[in-house]
Amino acid sequence: MAQVLAALRPIVNYCVGGTLVGLAISDRYFSLAAVHGSSMHPTFEDRTGEYALVQRSGLARYDFSRGEVVTFVSPVDHRSTLVKRLIGMPGDWISVPETLEIRKVPEGHCWLEGDNGSVSWDSRFYGPIPLGLVRGRVTHVVWPPHKFGRVDKRLPEGRVMPQRHF
Amino acid sequence: MGTGIQIWSTAKTLATGAIIGLTISDRYLTIVTTKGDSMHPTLTAADSFFRGDVVFAERGCLDKYKFSRGDVVIFKCPSDHNKDFVKRLIALPGEWIRIPVSQEIIKVPEGHCWVEGDNADRSWDSRSFGPIPLGLIKGRVTHIIWPPSKMGRVERKWPEDSAICSVYLQVNQPKGQLKP
Repeated sequence: MAQVLAALRPIVNYCVGGTLVGLAISDRYFSLAAVHGSSMHPTFEDRTGEYALVQRSGLARYDFSRGEVVTFVSPVDHRSTLVKRLIGMPGDWISVPETLEIRKVPEGHCWLEGDNGSVSWDSRFYGPIPLGLVRGRVTHVVWPPHKFGRVDKRLPEGRVMPQRHF
Repeated sequence: MGTGIQIWSTAKTLATGAIIGLTISDRYLTIVTTKGDSMHPTLTAADSFFRGDVVFAERGCLDKYKFSRGDVVIFKCPSDHNKDFVKRLIALPGEWIRIPVSQEIIKVPEGHCWVEGDNADRSWDSRSFGPIPLGLIKGRVTHIIWPPSKMGRVERKWPEDSAICSVYLQVNQPKGQLKP
């Protein structure tokens, strides 16, 4: 009995060690996330089992750029994480679709929109979102295999005027 | 040769310890040094090495919805995500708040909360930047661990001149307004 336990010890150590390292990496560097919903169609289609590689902002450099797809905590439910495209950075002017309104993105906030405008609940509904809610950027789709590849940066035409540095 | 193995073994132990420490700090409990006077007298700035009170902050509170009115919380500043603030949680989603200066009554939006510092004169809080999304909260302050004279639990306190309307009016609801 004691011999079996002794033999198992190193295996248990490696498993626990591996789990810890995995957790730390997932919290701070990279993680995989299952994506649901059709608000980002066609970048993500609403089917079970679509997975994306998320680069976490744990290093707090927050060097996000316009056009990237990011994950963020929902401003109306802190327990859900959403995925949308970052359209505007602090200081940018955004033209709100279907209105003549132009809004300026306040300091410390960003403007997020889903690629599939007709079904997406995003900044057009919530307003600008504090950058502190952004958790990471989606760099690749990793599953299913036929959709494997980088997620590109894209901006809708004529909607954003970036802040100019004088 | 022997020392090589010893060094490797020490390195592994240190690395394991560091990762366990990081994981605990990210997910369960962390130690934070506070600065500024906005929470005086609960938390005060100081001339000491730490420049303020050192506290335990519990991280699990958000997932389990274990915070309530009167808790002291740490959150990311809504207008500068690189700064963290410490304030007291005054109102939860759906509650009604009377804004001191304008006397306007607003409803705290779903998923948001209202925070204020104990030292109203020196506190930049929801009275200036409005309700903040709960997702910005990073932890709940449970104890002060330094300096020794202030060691102890940080209690859930109800501010005296509370801004919360304790009466939920059913008839003749005042003009409430959802903040953007």
